[in-house]
Formats: sequence, C-alpha cells, structure tokens
Amino acid sequence: MSILRRIANLFRRSKLDQDIEAELRSHIEMRTADNIVAGMSPKEARRQAVLRFGSRPAMKERVIAADAHMFLDSLWQDLCYGVRVLRKSPGFTAVAVLTLALGIGANTAIFSVIDAVLLRSLPVKDPQQLVVLRWSAHSKPKVHGFSGYGDCVDQKCSFSLPFFRIMDAQAKAFSGMAAFAGPLDMDFSGNGEASIAHGTFVSGDFFSTLGVNAFIGRPLTASDDTPSAPPAIVLTYAYWQRAFGGDRSVIGRSVHLDNVAVTIIGVADPRFTNLTPGNTQDFFLPCSLADRVKGEWWGNQSRTSETDIWWVIALGRLKPGVSISQAQAEATAIFRNEMLHGASPAFKDADAPEIHLLPAQAGLNGETSQIAPILYLLMIGVGFILLIACANVAGLMLARSATRQKEMSVRLALGAGRARLVRQLLTESVLLSVIGAAFGILFAAWGVRAFIELFSSGYVQFPFAVAPDWRVLTFTIGVTLITGILFGLAPALRGTRVDLTPSLKENASSLPGTAVHARRFFRLGNALVVTQVALSIVVLIGAGLLVRTMRNLHNLNPGFDARNILIFNIDPTIAGYSDQQTQELYSNLQQRFAAIPGVSSVSYSEDALLDGGHSGDDVHLDGAPPKQNVSTGILPVGLNFFSTMHIPLLAGRTLMSADFATAISTNAAQHALGAVATKQHSVPDSAAAAALASAQQAYTHSASVPVLINETFAKKILSKQNPVGLHMGDGQNSDDEVQHPGPGYTIVGIVGDTKYAYLRRPIEPMMFLPLVSNSAYFELRAAGNPTALVKNVRDIVSRAGENLPLTNVRTQTEQIEQTLYLERLLSRLSSFFGALALVLACIGLYGLLAYEVARRTREIGIRMALGAQQRDLLRLIVGQGILLAVIGSALGIAAALGVTRFISSMLFGVRANDPLTIVAVAILLAVVALLACYIPARRAMRVDPMVALRYE
Amino acid sequence: MAKNDLQGSLDLLTLKTLSQMGELHGYGIVLHIQRASDEMLSVEEGSLYPALHRMEQSGWIRSEWKLTDTNRKAKYYRLTAAGQKELRKAEESFEQLVKGVRAVLRYAQG
Repeated sequence: MSILRRIANLFRRSKLDQDIEAELRSHIEMRTADNIVAGMSPKEARRQAVLRFGSRPAMKERVIAADAHMFLDSLWQDLCYGVRVLRKSPGFTAVAVLTLALGIGANTAIFSVIDAVLLRSLPVKDPQQLVVLRWSAHSKPKVHGFSGYGDCVDQKCSFSLPFFRIMDAQAKAFSGMAAFAGPLDMDFSGNGEASIAHGTFVSGDFFSTLGVNAFIGRPLTASDDTPSAPPAIVLTYAYWQRAFGGDRSVIGRSVHLDNVAVTIIGVADPRFTNLTPGNTQDFFLPCSLADRVKGEWWGNQSRTSETDIWWVIALGRLKPGVSISQAQAEATAIFRNEMLHGASPAFKDADAPEIHLLPAQAGLNGETSQIAPILYLLMIGVGFILLIACANVAGLMLARSATRQKEMSVRLALGAGRARLVRQLLTESVLLSVIGAAFGILFAAWGVRAFIELFSSGYVQFPFAVAPDWRVLTFTIGVTLITGILFGLAPALRGTRVDLTPSLKENASSLPGTAVHARRFFRLGNALVVTQVALSIVVLIGAGLLVRTMRNLHNLNPGFDARNILIFNIDPTIAGYSDQQTQELYSNLQQRFAAIPGVSSVSYSEDALLDGGHSGDDVHLDGAPPKQNVSTGILPVGLNFFSTMHIPLLAGRTLMSADFATAISTNAAQHALGAVATKQHSVPDSAAAAALASAQQAYTHSASVPVLINETFAKKILSKQNPVGLHMGDGQNSDDEVQHPGPGYTIVGIVGDTKYAYLRRPIEPMMFLPLVSNSAYFELRAAGNPTALVKNVRDIVSRAGENLPLTNVRTQTEQIEQTLYLERLLSRLSSFFGALALVLACIGLYGLLAYEVARRTREIGIRMALGAQQRDLLRLIVGQGILLAVIGSALGIAAALGVTRFISSMLFGVRANDPLTIVAVAILLAVVALLACYIPARRAMRVDPMVALRYE
Repeated sequence: MAKNDLQGSLDLLTLKTLSQMGELHGYGIVLHIQRASDEMLSVEEGSLYPALHRMEQSGWIRSEWKLTDTNRKAKYYRLTAAGQKELRKAEESFEQLVKGVRAVLRYAQG
C-alpha cells in the first residue's frame, strides 16, 4: 500500500534526503559533462548546470513536500468521507463513541489514581538507593513501649533512638542514615491563636541523607540534634504558606511547641511533601527535643535515652555498589549483637532477631496498604468495563459491516480497489476511536476529580496528588483502536473477497437459511453479547456484595445510641497540664457543658468509640492458671459515661466519684515509683535502693482500681462465677516470676457489649477504668441537633484555658461515617461501575437485536402477511434476546462464584456467594435486558407488511 | 487529474517519454523532451524531480540505480502498468483540453 510507504517516508526522511541528493548530483554532473562537450570551460559548465537548478535545498524540500501533500490530501479525503458516513448513522456513532469514551475514561481515571498512590516515587534524591530497616524475630521483643505512626503495615519498622545511633555509627554499607517519627500532634503557639500542628521528629542527618534542601533558611543538621543545641524547627512549604502566608521573615522567629520555645530556621523544599503516603506533617524537629516536646504521653520516660522505647523509623542510603543483601547481613549482625548482648537485651538467642531491608518506597506504604486492595479491585472492575466496551464496539462494527456488505459489493462491482475500501474502513474506525478518545480524555479528567472528591468526603483528605496518566490513556486508546480496526476490518476484508452475485441478490432472498454472511455474523454477535452479559454480571455481583457490606455496617447496632451526640477532643497534656489539673479541668468542663441548654448528659473517654483508636492489654484473673490471660480492650472513661452513651448496666454498679479518687491515688503511687526508679537508674546507691523499695511497697499496697467489664468479658472468661467483686491483674501474665505485683483491678459492674475501635471488628472483651490523666474526647448528648452546641462548647473551652486546643469536633454519627469511608467509597464506585457494565451490556444486546430486526424486516412482513400475531413476533425477537441474556447470566454467575471469594475479606455480614445478591442481580439484569429487547421488538411489531414487502 | 494544466502536461510528457524510450534517468528525460519537441519545450529541473517523486509514490513509475554509458551512477525510471493506464487517461484528457481550448479560440475568431 502506497499510503504506508508514504508514511514510512515521512519517518525515513534522512534516507530520502540522501537519495534525492545523489540523484540531483548525478544530474548536474551529466549536464556539466555535456556543457563541456558543447565547448564551455569546466568551471563555467558546472556553474551553468547548477544555475538551472536554483537552490538545491529548496528543491529537495519541494520533493518532500510533494510527498507530504499527497499523504495529507488522501487522508483528508478519507476523513471527509468517514465523517459523512458517521453522520449518516448518528445512533451508531453516538453509541460507539460513548462506549469508547466510558471505557477509555474509566480506565484512565482508575489507573491514574493507582499510579499516583502505588507507583509514585519518593520526593527525594536517588530514591532507589534508600532502604527502610525492618526487624523480625520469633517472639515479641521485651520492650516497654512501641509506637508506630502508620508508616509500615505493622510496627516492625520501629527502633529505639539509642539503637539507631549505634547502627548509624557502626554500619558501613550506608553512605548515610536517617531516623524519623511522626507526625505527632503538638500545641503550636506564638503565631496567632494556639493551634494543633503536626510535627515529625527527625535525626540530624535526615535532610542530608535524603538530599532535601531548604527553600529558604537552612535544613536541620547534625549539630541541631544534640541535647545542648538551641531548639530549632524546619517548616514544610505547605504549612509555611498556610499558617504564615509565605512570609520570608519567619526565619529566626521564635514560636512555642508544647510550651517549649523553638526557633524556625528554615522552610523545606516545596517538592518534599512526605515519605509515607498519607503522613503529612507541618514541621520537622530534631529527635533530641523529644524529651521536652512530647507530642504524646510518655510519662516521665525518656524517648531519647531509653533502649526499650521503640518509636523511630530508620532509613539508610546504600553506598554505590553495595547490594541490599550485603547491607542486610551487616545490619543484622549489628542488630543481633545489640539485642542479645547490649545494655538491655530485648530478645533471646532462640528468637533469631534479624533485619530486613526494603526499598523505602515499598516499605513506607502507610495508608496505601489500606487503599491498595481497593484500588486493585477497582482496577479489575474497570478492566472488565474495558472488555465489555471492546466487545460492544466489536459487536457494533460487526453489525455495521454486515449491513454494509451490499454497499461494499456494489462499490467493488463498480471497480473500486480493495485496498481503497479497506483504507476507508480503517479511516472510519480510527476516526471513531479518535472521537471516542477525545471524550474519553474529558471523562478521565472528570473521573479523577470525582474520585478524589469521593475519597475526601467527610473529614478525610485524599493524601495523594493525582493527574490523568498519559501512558494509560495511550494504552486504553490503543486497545480500543485495535478492537475497532480488527472487528471493523475483518468482516470488511471477508466482504471484499466474496463472490459478488449472492451478496447483491441477498435481499431478494432474505428468508431464513439463505443469508449466509449475516448468519455467520450473528453467531459471532451472539457470542459477544453473551460475553458482555456474563462480564457485567460478575461486576454487578461484586458491586452488590460491596453495597450489602456497606448497608450491613450501617445498620449494625454498635451497642450504644450514636444519635444526637457531639464529640470533640481536648488535650490538656500538650498545653502543659499536670494530671491533677487535668482531672480538675475535666470535672469542671463536665459541669459547665451539662449546663448548656439542650444538653441532657455529658461524659468523656480517652478514645471516642468507633474512631479507630484502640488500647488493649492482657489481664490475668487472680486464681486462674498462670498464663491464662484475657486479651481485653481498655477504655478509660469519665463519670456518667454509660448513661450518656446509653450503654445498659447489666450487673453491679457504674463508676462513682469515689472510684476516681481511688484511681488517682493509685496512679500517683505508680508515678512516684517511676520517678524513683529513674533516679535509682542514674545514681545507684543504697539510699536510692531503699527509696525504691518503699515506693514499690507503696504502689503494691495502693488500692486496686475499680473497673467495669462488658458482657463478652464476663461470659467468655468468668462463666463459672459471678464476676462482680472479683480481682484481677496480679501480673501472672507469663512464666516469669512476678516480683512486685501492681494493685490490679476490682470488677464493680458489668455493662452491655459495644463495638470499640471499628465496626468491622467482632466485639471483644472490654474493661472500662476511671480516666485520670491524658487527653480526652468529650461526649455531649443533645436533646436535638448536636451541632447547634458547637459555639457554646468553644466559648466554654476558651474560657477554661487559652492554650487549650479543641479538635476533632463532630457528631458521633459523622464519626462512624468517617470510619466507613473506604467502604462507602468502594460501594459507591462499584455500584457506579456495575451500572456502567449493565448499561454497556444492554447497549450491546439492543444493538444486536435492532440489527436483527432491520435485517429481517422483509421476513417479518411476510410473517405478518401470512397471519402471524404481534405476540408471536414479540416472542420471536424478545425470546432471542432473553435467551442470550439467560446464557450470559448463567456463565456470569458461574464466573462470579469463582471470583468473588477473592473479595471476601472486604465483605461484612454477607458471604461471597450470597444467593440473595446473585438472584437480585440476575433479576435486575433480566429487567434491563427485557427493556433492551422491547424497543427493537416494538419496531418489529410496527412493521407494515405492505411497506416491508415493497421494500427496495 | 488535471488539477493544474502545467503539472498535468509535465506528467503527460514524462510518462510519454518513458513509454517511448523505455528506461531513462531524469537528465535523459529533460534532454528527450527538449529534442523531441524541436527545442520548443524546455523542462524545468526544479519541477521535474518533485513530479518524478510524486509519480513514483503513486505507483506510475518505478526507479532503479544503474550505471550510465559513461559509467556514472544515475537513477533510471521506467513505466509501470498503472503508469500505462495513467498515460492513456492523461492523453485523453489532454486531447480534450486541446479540443476544448481550440473550440473556444475558434469561437472567438468567428
């Protein structure tokens, strides 16, 4: 095909250039030779020859332009014809374009999100050299505290700061190491009203190891991360813009973090947003400040010096030429030595502690670990949509080329070249795809925005930057283009090869059994429709299961009355309140809130129910065999918590003021012990030892803390006795001898079961203790709309203390909605894609039947003339459609049964092969399919026999 | 065809030359047309090569690098079957053009 050669020429221009150049040279040489023969001097001969040519580059351009002109000319011709043909059948064009646009758009949108969330690269220098350290061992480490801030799936990326310093000093495989922890909520004052800001602790070499520079000022360096260094912080670009309006004079300004004065020394590079997706901070502060700026409650323990608080993530930058396994071996050796023979061994030899190095991007997955399965599921869903769309386009192209067989035959008979016909069909397919793609791009851009909006609904911000991905767009357009070409061209090629006569005669004998090509098409068309229906059934069943999951979670009784409750967080600890002051503040606030008109009851708790926060412990019941512990959730609560939340009291009594007094004194004894122990640790002498022993004694003999347990706790563990009045927590949690048992807990009552952190989790044993310190969530039960109380609440809090930040204000119902946001997102998106699949499949069905009716108009006319009833015709057409829908549904259900078990972990209260969902989806499909059949069937019934028989 | 008379006639002349002479290079075509028209027509080199290229791309002529009698490398063109057909068409349309033009001229005279 010359058109291909011409396209090829456009790309092989340099070769063409050389060829032309050689040809022109030989021409000039020949004329020069002739001129010499004619008597000119050689110089003059050549001059004349060249003169006749004019400018040679211009000449070459003209040759090439002739080429391009021809190409564009014929392309334009084909395009004009194509546009005309498409405009002649607007229905076909609209459906095909819409199908393509939806397929291309949906895929591009979802893949763009996946690209941004899962395949993004870290915003640091040479991210491929960066590894994150992760430990593993056969048992849990003996450590006091463990903290993770959502950077890794579990908390096995946390290390103590002293250990990080040892690793940093000893490991030779890394050109640099960095530690970080956070972000943590900190009280940020000195810049207008006090507010909560999110600070991440970083080691001194954090910025240099990552290769991140300061936008203005300077980054933190090793000299800032020493105990004696003046406290300094670096703001993120976003926070600098948001809180300081991009004011360059902030460098050198002093602000207060949790009442510690710090100096702003720099603003980080705008490109450096976060390492872990979803973890965005407002500023960075050196780890050495961790003992002064706490950010979270650590009692009087030191996170900078104690080896049994594991809280920082360690990153290393591999030296060039060092492999991951080499570095891993070295890191493991250092880790093992320190864990087994270090200052305070955390593992035994048999635990085989090891370090694994993960590429930082994969290791720091954070929120993506939650979103990833959803995205993969959506990816499969839209993949199905793309398949359905392709099948749809294929069916449409087939139907069309079948109806155009006669046109082709006529044109062939009139002497058109086959190549020419094929080229024109090709142009039409491409044209269709290009228009579809154009709409697809719009749809993709809109889809990405809609997705982010959907994700960010409520209080959750979608923490990823997403833009439509051009590679994916190219891919999807390519796929649909190929589909269009194959299915448009294949029958056309076959059509152009056929013997002309039967095709031309076809209409004269379009009774069943003679239209060979149409029948062959119809078989392929049937297969396509069945495939589409089957695929859409799979998508619909998946969507149905996810929607039911959402509804189940929604309708679940959490064990308390979530209506009309306003909740908000108050954190006096970061405003510098002591435990005693906190206690006074809480009871004070409780009284004032209760006095607000419209408030019927007020209480508080350390975590709000169903906000995702969870504390727990293993508790041993006195008298039970050793090691037989109850793994229980723990929630410290305030007075009236159960009456406010409408949690029923089943036995015993609820907490009273006296219980809080008991808890406070026990808590004080524990604190005193902790303080003495720390002193004894640093100055071990006999006086200190004696003080420790007496503090120990005082703590052991302090009163046990009165607690309530829930029904599950009572049933599961204490089935034989009446639990009220029992004592637990004697410390017999393990084989180790308990030297100084704590005062433990006394059960004073039993309350009804409630969900604690998440709706999805099964109800676990729960223990409610009196809240005596730490931050708290207040719960206000209102008579009416709880949001109307917000202004009053703010007034009361700001009058109680000016540095008291009030955060996370919302209703309990909103809170529950928020924890369900992933489920809601999934159920919404999947129902959207399910509906899309359904519509596309029905368009396919409709297209096929409409084509059938058009093709068989004459037959229908004859049947009517011979006395067929409308009912018979209806059965003829609809019956065929329903048959296809039924076959497709059966195949789809079979496929769904095999596929849906892969999403069973995302389901709640519904099994992956839920018959109700399957039946409902089948009925839905049947109804919509009937509709799709009915329209062409009605057209068939309206056929006027006289017109049909006279047709042509 | 005959979008533009001059181009049309250059195509016609070239095709005719190739059909008469068999195989010829560009320079040879120029010389032949000059000689055969008794020096009345002179083909402009600047137009010939684009035309040759275009006709080759359209499949009317085919080219091949060969040695001339004087041992020089040159690109030789020859007519294809499609070119033969094109030549017949071009001749017809030229005849018609001439007839038409002559008729108009006669009308103007008489």
